[in-house]
This record gives sequence, structure tokens and C-alpha cells, in this order.
Amino acid sequence: MDPEKQFINTIKTALGRPGNQPPADLFTTSPSQEEKTLLEKIRTRTHQERVPLIEQLRQTVPSLHMDLHLEAGIEEAARAIGRLILEKEPEWGTSKSVVCWDHPLINQLKLSEVAELGQIPIHNTGYDGTDPQRKKEIRSQVEASFIGITSADYCIAATATLAMKTRPGHARSVSLVPSIHVAVVREEQLLADLRELYTLLKWDEAERKEGLTRNLTLISGPSKTADIELVMVHGAHGPRELHLFIIAAD
Amino acid sequence: MELTTKAYKQTAKKAIADPILQSALAGLQSRLGPATASLYENLPEGPDLRAKAHAYRRKAVDNLDIMLVTLAGKIRENGGEVHFAATAKDAVDICLDIAEKNNVKHVVKGKSMVTEEIGLNRALMDKGIEVNETDLGEYIIQLAGEKPSHIVAPAVHKTRKEVGELFTEKLGTPYTDDPPTLTRDARQALRKKFMAADMGISGCNLACAETGHITTVSNEGNIRMATTLPRVHVAFMGMERIAANLEEHQAILRLMSMGAAAQQIGGYVSYIGGPAAVDHADGPQAFHLVIVDNGRSRILADEEFREMLCCIRCGACLNVCPVYGKIGGHSYGSAYTGPVGAVVTPLLGGINEASHLCQGESLCGACRVACPLNLNLPRMLLALRAKLSEGDPRWNVKPKSRPEKMLFQVWSRINQNRKVYDILLKLGRLIQKIMPSSNHMIRRLPWPFSGWTQSRDMKPLAGKTFMELWKEHQGGRS
Repeated sequence: MDPEKQFINTIKTALGRPGNQPPADLFTTSPSQEEKTLLEKIRTRTHQERVPLIEQLRQTVPSLHMDLHLEAGIEEAARAIGRLILEKEPEWGTSKSVVCWDHPLINQLKLSEVAELGQIPIHNTGYDGTDPQRKKEIRSQVEASFIGITSADYCIAATATLAMKTRPGHARSVSLVPSIHVAVVREEQLLADLRELYTLLKWDEAERKEGLTRNLTLISGPSKTADIELVMVHGAHGPRELHLFIIAAD
Repeated sequence: MELTTKAYKQTAKKAIADPILQSALAGLQSRLGPATASLYENLPEGPDLRAKAHAYRRKAVDNLDIMLVTLAGKIRENGGEVHFAATAKDAVDICLDIAEKNNVKHVVKGKSMVTEEIGLNRALMDKGIEVNETDLGEYIIQLAGEKPSHIVAPAVHKTRKEVGELFTEKLGTPYTDDPPTLTRDARQALRKKFMAADMGISGCNLACAETGHITTVSNEGNIRMATTLPRVHVAFMGMERIAANLEEHQAILRLMSMGAAAQQIGGYVSYIGGPAAVDHADGPQAFHLVIVDNGRSRILADEEFREMLCCIRCGACLNVCPVYGKIGGHSYGSAYTGPVGAVVTPLLGGINEASHLCQGESLCGACRVACPLNLNLPRMLLALRAKLSEGDPRWNVKPKSRPEKMLFQVWSRINQNRKVYDILLKLGRLIQKIMPSSNHMIRRLPWPFSGWTQSRDMKPLAGKTFMELWKEHQGGRS
């Protein structure tokens, strides 16, 4: 018998399972009334109702060592990110370069057109899946960049969590390898808490269709460790800083 | 699993005499224990969530066959490969085979208890493969050639000075005892390893059957590095680490973050469901999941211990246990330390072999209160002790101490016979007169009872029994 069958049979024996009838409630098939109400609440949330979420986010970020930037529009955000690129010093080596997701919101920042950035290369991780050479290039650009700019699917106010599914153009390493992670989201992408996130992931039609993808990552703050005498240090392996930009609704 | 539990008493003695370790353990417990407790009190869903989460885990374990088949099916649909390993050796061999087929020379690892359990690092290194632990704590103890002493903070026993000296010796960095500088030194050294690695190895905190994902949690980002940059990702998962569906998964995951590090949610949580798609700019080309039994099915088959498979290895019990807080992790002699180790190590490694562990715990119940899932560890510790005293062929347990068992059998006989009892009582009253005593207390008992009076005095037998007094007062009236 192949190892897999034997393995599962061992479990069946251990469970003393007579047949193969699983209990009906293992996997849920429809949302509860409470979840339906929550979905509706998220869908119909107004700008006014998001004000307290921003306030909550503002209270959460300091303890997670994150920097929150509230911007009135895309242009303002682009200018603020430009200043950040100019102000910050690279951690490895001396030359500056930046890598961005190939993502509608990030592309709208048009960072390569910001005059002050001059010669600083702004790479992006657009990839059509055909050229392995391009993949190598992306990898080396990510490794060389001191700032990585991404968006996210959602931003959760209560825990300052960014939720990111993996998609073409959205390289996972952009939020991980550069020393500074800049995340840009629109106010409309704010959720109150993790329960809202999971309710959406589970029951929202578009989310269900896409699934969690091959890699869903939740990021709450920059990389940190307390492994030496419990002293908190930021920047263990991932980014040392995380700047969260929220662009106000029009 | 390599066990050094026989040295329990010596290691514990050494730990208790080590003032630096004592202060590290006290610091750890005073920081994490109360912080976790206060998070439990403020759960958005209310305190019932913990009982619910216990039931979710139990449901998954009770339907483990369906869980694993569902998970494996989904992962395969997404281009991942799933392997089933009945023993530690099978699991190691599967990994060695993947390494060979992919021409792997350099491995980076995220912290994983199950790979400690199966001794994976040694096997890879014996094949000439370079293995680097990347969790800072694990990296420190790997450089020092030591074993982890805490599930979440493996190097809690090392001082900053020791880490500084270690880094100077092994990494050639200038000596410092400044934790941020030391962290930066490790960051720099390991960054090169991450970039050069062909294979990343991770554990799995909790899989989700319905969606077909494993989940990894870290604060350092090392697991994301190890599972994003190398071309091959191999994940190891104890077969019980699974939840049925997403809503149950997230509840358990949040409780785990609270138990492990007093966080609402770990800094980085990744749901991994397969290799990167072809049109993705990065991520591993191959994803392998190795599901490990290695003695777990035997625990599953025994109703008395099945509850232990609900454990999510968050380490919350270590942060409150008065015994762990004194003797430290190394005394437990395996990868699993503290109260969880005292139950799981005997069950996986042999109850007789690890008998010190279940006898060493205090049964005070703090672990049960601290456990995010309210697992009843004290009950299982008692069950293990019962097996040690009675023996159990199903678990190959030999009774721990025959003389002790015989003594209790004799005691039981005596108690069943009033006349013999009375005679022995009178005898005892005579004998106790010649025992060394002061202040109406017996100071020392002779062998084999001398242990009892080693650190306490004993009250002597009363001049008259209750029955005798009763008869006198009642004047024989009934």
C-alpha cells in the first residue's frame, strides 16, 4: 500500500471510525445572519463612518513601531514618498534605488516623474510570466533597493494589519527585502478589525472566487525580535521601518 | 527524538543554581504571563472564545483523516506536492530526497519544532548541505551548539554578553553586548544566507483544510524570507496541526498569538497554498508539504491523551509554570519544554524514558489557566503518573518502582484489617519514641522513609486514635 493510504488508514483506525461519514458541520457552506449583516455594513460604510477607524489606526501604530501618513490625494502622497526617498539613507551600500509593485494605485503615484528624485532608479516588478531572465532582474533589483513600495488589499484599523494576496506584478519580496517598506492604500480599503477581514475573505463573492491565492500575507508592523534578553529590536530580517500611507476618499 | 531527560535532576539543579538564568526566566514570566492573561480578558468575542477554540481543535482532531485528505487535495490542485511520513526517518528521507533531486547545497530554516523533533538538521548536514537556522534565537543556539530552551524564545537562557562573545568568535564581528547591534550583525550575516539559499524549510503553525493552506507566523520576517526567496520550499507539519475552516482557523490563530507573545496577531502571518504561479514575479518554484505522524497516531488512539493533539505549541504554559520558571527549558531534555513538554515528550519519546518530566511538574494548574485553549495538562500529567505506577502494555510502560507499588499494596491490606492496623499503630507509637525529635516533631525517619523528613519534620502519631477516644467518651454507648 502506498504510504499516503497507509498513513490515512492508521488515522482512521486510531479514530475508530467505522464508515466514512464526516459530520455535516466540518466546512461551513453559508454565512450566518451575523456575518451577512457585517458584510452589508462593510459594503455600505461611508466616509463619515471611517473617521473613527482612522482614529483607531492612529492609536494602534505607535505600539507597532509604524509610521502613519494621512494624505489628501495621490499627488500629495507621491510628494511625501518622494521626500521619504530623499531623506532616508540606504542600509546596505551607498546608492539609492526603489522598487515598486506594478499596481494601479502605485503606478498612479508616477514616482519616476517626480523631478526631485533625479537619478534615483525607480524599478517595478511587472512580469508577464514569459521571460525567466526578467525574473532574475526583478530579484536583483529588489535586493538592491532600500525602499519597497506596495499597496495592499485591506488595512485593518484595530491591529494596523495589511492584508496582501499574491498576484502577478505584486512581488512578495517588495514588502520584505528592502530596509523600508512603504504601503499605500486608499481610505476605502480600511476595515475595522480582523473579524471583518476574515468575514470578507470567507464570504465576499469576489474574494471567494479568487480564494486566498497561493500566498496571503498579513503584515502588522516592521520586522522585530526580542530574542536577546527580551530587548525589542526592529529590523531583524525584514524591513526596519514601515510607513503606511492612507489616501483620503475623494 | 534525542532525549536527555535522564539528566533532569542534574540539569535542573544546575539551572536553579544559575542566578543569570533565574533572572532571565523571572523576567520572561513576569512579562509574558500577565500580558497574555489580560488579552484573554479583553477578547472581542468574549471569554467563551477559548472554549470554542478548544472545541474547534477537537473537531479537527476527531476528523483528522478528512482534514488531511482535504488539505492535500487542495495543495495538489495548486501545484504543490504533499508527502506523508509515518516516522521521523521517513520525514527526514523525504526531505533528503527533495534536496538531492533539486541539487540543494544551502538551506535556510524558519523555526520549526517538528524538525527539531525529527532531527532534520543533523541529517542534512551529514549530506554536506549547509543549514542555517534563521530565527535569531535559533541562530544563536545553533552557533553555540546548544538546544532551544523555550518554544518561542529559544535563546532566553543566553545573556547579551554571551551572545556578543559568540558572535565575535563565530561571525568575526567586533565585540558588543548591545542587542540592536548584535541583531544587526545577525541580520547582515543571515541576509547573505537567505539570498544564496536553494531551499527554505519551515514548520506549520496551523493549516486550514477548507482553503488548503498552511500558515506560518513570525515577527522577524525570517520565515517569509525562507519561504519566498529560495527556489524550493519544504514545510513540515505535525499531522494534528490543522483547523477545518477559515473562521475556526482565525480564532485559533489569534489565540495562539496571544499565548505565544501576548500579541493580537503575529507580526507576519502567511497563508501558503502552493508554489508561486508561473506569472508571479517571485516565490518558490516548488512547494512540498511533509505531514508527520511519528507517534501522534498512538496519542490519537488513546482517548485519555487525544486532547494533547489539540495543543498548538504557543508556549503560553511555559510563561506561567512555577517549575519551568525555576529549572528552565534544558532540564526537559527535548525540543518540547515546560508543561507541554512534560506531557508530549513522554507520549512521543517513551513514558518510562521521560518519567522525570511528568513527575517533576507541580500539578498547580497554572498551565491550564494560561493555555489559550484551556487544555487540561494537569489531568494528563496525572494520567501519565498513573501509567508509571501501574504499567501499561499499550504504551510499553513498565511500572516505575516495584517496591513502591508493593508498599502500597501492603498498606492497602493493612487498611482493610482493623486488628492488624491497631497492632501496627501501637508498634508505631513505641518505635517513634526512639526517633530523633524536637518540639514534639519527629526530625528524621530511618531509610527507606528518610526522604520524607529531608526537608520537613513529621508530626508523631497521636497517643490515642479517634476510635479509642470515641469509645472512652461515649462510655461504650452506641
